[in-house]
Amino acid sequence: MEVKNLKVEFFSNKSLVPVIDGATFFIKKDEILVLAGESGSGKTLTALSITKILPNNAIITAGSAKFMGVDLLTMDEKALTDIRGREIAYIFQEPTSYLNPVFTVGDQIAEVIMLHQNKNKLDAFNEVKELLSLVKIKDPQRVLSSYPHQLSGGMNQRVFLAMALACKPKLLIADEPTTALDVTIEAQILQLLLDLKKTMGFSLLFITHNLSIAKKIADRICVMCKGKIVEEGSVDKIFDTPEHFHTRELINAYEKIGRL
Amino acid sequence: MQNKSLNIGILIIGFLTIIAILAPLVSPFDPSVIDQDSLLMPPSLKHFLGTDTLGRDLFSRIVFGARISLGIGLVAVGIATLVGLILGAVAGFYGGRIDGLIMRFVDIMLCFPTFYLILAVAAILGPSIFNIMIIVGLTSWMGVARLVRGEILSLKEREFIQAEKSIGASNLRIIIRHLIPNAIGPVLVSATLGIGGAILLESGLSFLGLGVQPPTPSWGNILIESKSTLGVAWWITVFPGLAILTTILGFNLIAEGLKKKMGS
Repeated sequence: MEVKNLKVEFFSNKSLVPVIDGATFFIKKDEILVLAGESGSGKTLTALSITKILPNNAIITAGSAKFMGVDLLTMDEKALTDIRGREIAYIFQEPTSYLNPVFTVGDQIAEVIMLHQNKNKLDAFNEVKELLSLVKIKDPQRVLSSYPHQLSGGMNQRVFLAMALACKPKLLIADEPTTALDVTIEAQILQLLLDLKKTMGFSLLFITHNLSIAKKIADRICVMCKGKIVEEGSVDKIFDTPEHFHTRELINAYEKIGRL
Repeated sequence: MQNKSLNIGILIIGFLTIIAILAPLVSPFDPSVIDQDSLLMPPSLKHFLGTDTLGRDLFSRIVFGARISLGIGLVAVGIATLVGLILGAVAGFYGGRIDGLIMRFVDIMLCFPTFYLILAVAAILGPSIFNIMIIVGLTSWMGVARLVRGEILSLKEREFIQAEKSIGASNLRIIIRHLIPNAIGPVLVSATLGIGGAILLESGLSFLGLGVQPPTPSWGNILIESKSTLGVAWWITVFPGLAILTTILGFNLIAEGLKKKMGS
């Protein structure tokens, strides 16, 4: 996956306001790239832009996002829906609000399978059960017939992970997947994510503002600030010899909290 | 908490529906058989609700009229809800120019005084039960469209819609499988209210002679036949009126009960 010079702009009072201004980065196969940065720096938007999931008033004005050699940004919508969920999957910040409240979670996981794999409902539901045990849910039968509001945030995030991994994607984009969870659950989910990555083998783009997580899991880190990627490098390089002042700020903040 | 209005409403409508379905079994006489020996008979043991100017049994006519009136109400509202749901969902989801176009069309439709529009169309197409269902349906979808559009507008910004996109669901799929089921609550309430309105419209049309044509009995055209004999035969006016009143009351109670149940 290679993103080059990505530029996303928002319409505001008939003029265009750039929000992402030339983001360039790449993710190698089986690699964990952490995209770090403060709130509002454009991390989430960057991740969504890769498969063109954008709000109505946003447009991509420049750049390319090559996935296995093909530029996703010039692809038509129909081909993109085929990529989303199958090749590139997402998990999000607040799992409960990212699940449809009127369907059971089993229905929603089965939907991904039926969308991309041409399976009937029965086969899909059998697979859902396997997926739920894969993400270490103890009683899949009960969970799959529950509605999102009946499950805890941690449970829902596991459900979401099952949904994202249903079609064995090559790239998983995790947008602050643990920010809304408490610390113990956070640790569990992160461990689960790493374990699954090992067994299933996918690349991971992990978005976070939390450098302690970045330090633990990353192969490489990209630091984002005001819509630009200001620094990129290995974990050691970023932490030992930060070049950009914003990176230093983030590290300071992380160390300050560590001292408390 | 017990939902009294919903229960009573369902009871009334359930009762009326059963009567309408079992009309041939329930009614003691054929609704269109003329009996010259019993013209304008007041309610009695033989004719529960009396007879009309042609000696037809009023009770039987009202029972068969229930079929027509309820049928028109259901089908017309079915059409209106379907059209409103589709147009409202498309307008709300796509926004921009499509939204503008559809909503201006809604405004235009709302500008017409509906009843006169229906009258004009009925006069041109000719009155028949089928035509009335369609005309009433096609002139009462605007409220539903606005309602659905509003719901969709707020629903489409919710996170789970973004999530649906991320798993590769197409727009059509998102609208049908994810947005509409979430918006269906208020639509159900307005549809239930709409059935009462449609029955009233049909009665009005029939009363003016542009609705269901005699000898087929509908509550509206029983009423119109009663107006010349109002002075001597009150029952022909009162009972179909009561039937209309009860039905509309029933549907309104259901609508109110549903609203309460969904907590809005």
